[in-house]
Amino acid sequence: MDTQIQFQINTGSAEPIYRQLMDQLRRRVAAGQWRAGQALPSVRELALELAVNPMTISKAYSLLETEGLLERRRGLPMVIATGHARPAAARDRIEQLMPTLQRAAAETRELGIPKTQALELFARLLDPSEPGTPR
Amino acid sequence: MNPSATSAGLVLSSAAAWPSTPRVEIEGLALAYGRQQVLQDLQWRLDPGQVVGLLGRNGAGKTTLIEALLGLRDTSAGSVQLFGQPAARLDDAARARIGYVPQQSDLFEELRADELLAYFRSFYLRWNETKVQGLLERWAVPRDIPIGRMSGGQQQRLSLIRALAHEPELLVLDEPMASLDPLARRDFLRELVERVLDRGTTVVFSTHILSDLERVAFNVAFLREGRIALQSPLDELLEETRLLIGQDAQLAALPGVEVLSRRPGRWLVRRVDEPTLAPGLVAQRVSLEDLFEALT
Repeated sequence: MDTQIQFQINTGSAEPIYRQLMDQLRRRVAAGQWRAGQALPSVRELALELAVNPMTISKAYSLLETEGLLERRRGLPMVIATGHARPAAARDRIEQLMPTLQRAAAETRELGIPKTQALELFARLLDPSEPGTPR
Repeated sequence: MNPSATSAGLVLSSAAAWPSTPRVEIEGLALAYGRQQVLQDLQWRLDPGQVVGLLGRNGAGKTTLIEALLGLRDTSAGSVQLFGQPAARLDDAARARIGYVPQQSDLFEELRADELLAYFRSFYLRWNETKVQGLLERWAVPRDIPIGRMSGGQQQRLSLIRALAHEPELLVLDEPMASLDPLARRDFLRELVERVLDRGTTVVFSTHILSDLERVAFNVAFLREGRIALQSPLDELLEETRLLIGQDAQLAALPGVEVLSRRPGRWLVRRVDEPTLAPGLVAQRVSLEDLFEALT
């Protein structure tokens, strides 16, 4: 069973909304959660759902199409492109995560947070259900 | 034929009459209140279909600019054209293509909602009554009390309905969401997305609610010291702008960057080549709020 295609956006971020949409789709496809042939909401549907300018959605979709992640079919919804049926190799997925981790590492150093404490926090964020280790 | 197909036909025919004429074209505009110069040598242009958020601090002159744009204020210099006509002497056909929601409610307080809308309806050839009735219902505008007894939010909703009813090609909104609660704001944004933006309407709106602006304004314009200091697609601005932190001497030595604002040790710049930055300089990405702080 495919995971339902749903997007989330954050306002107030340095990341433009169209980039947020592209990054989410890239990650879900890399993880194999959204797969080849799955239909995306139409530009209009997604614009309404997220209450954002339809041009922003079109921009994200067109760029993803250029990247080969989406396919346009005449008169039908956009779909995840063929060739994305399985999760990407672990190495590629890690590569996608690296910029975020590098940024987090830089900010951790700038804030002077000890490594052990940062790692502990990260572990807890990865698995919120796990009971927190006492500090 | 259904009503929406009819209105789509009207849109096409009127768009054909003004294929690419700027909706708004302002050149060298100056305006003063007594000795206080509010706008000076202001240039601004809005092309068909552009959705522009107008940003500026309190007292920067946003409302004055909007009123001057609509030909509602005497100017001391410059020209303002709407649909290629002088704003102060618009013909009826051009006037009917504009929708305006002022910051201060200008509705007749003793009338009820239906009476007010019937009055305005008489001025327009095009008027989408189905839309009006649907919005009155959806936005819960009371019909049985005079407008003067409605809450600020209810009056604002009615004012929005009045501005949308004739399906304008240029929609001018001055703080349209200031007295709406978060749910009403979201619903108004959806109405804009669903039935205004996809008709190619040109929209200009001022607001301090940056999250709303970020959702719908493809372009942002910053009003500072009486001028439009910068107008740009928001996406590009967020991607190309960096806050550079370092010593002023180092910052001044950077080649080919566009400096947007300058404070000691903190420069906001566009199009900086990050990999070539000297050690000791830090480049940070910025949010719309950072831009607002630096550019207004």
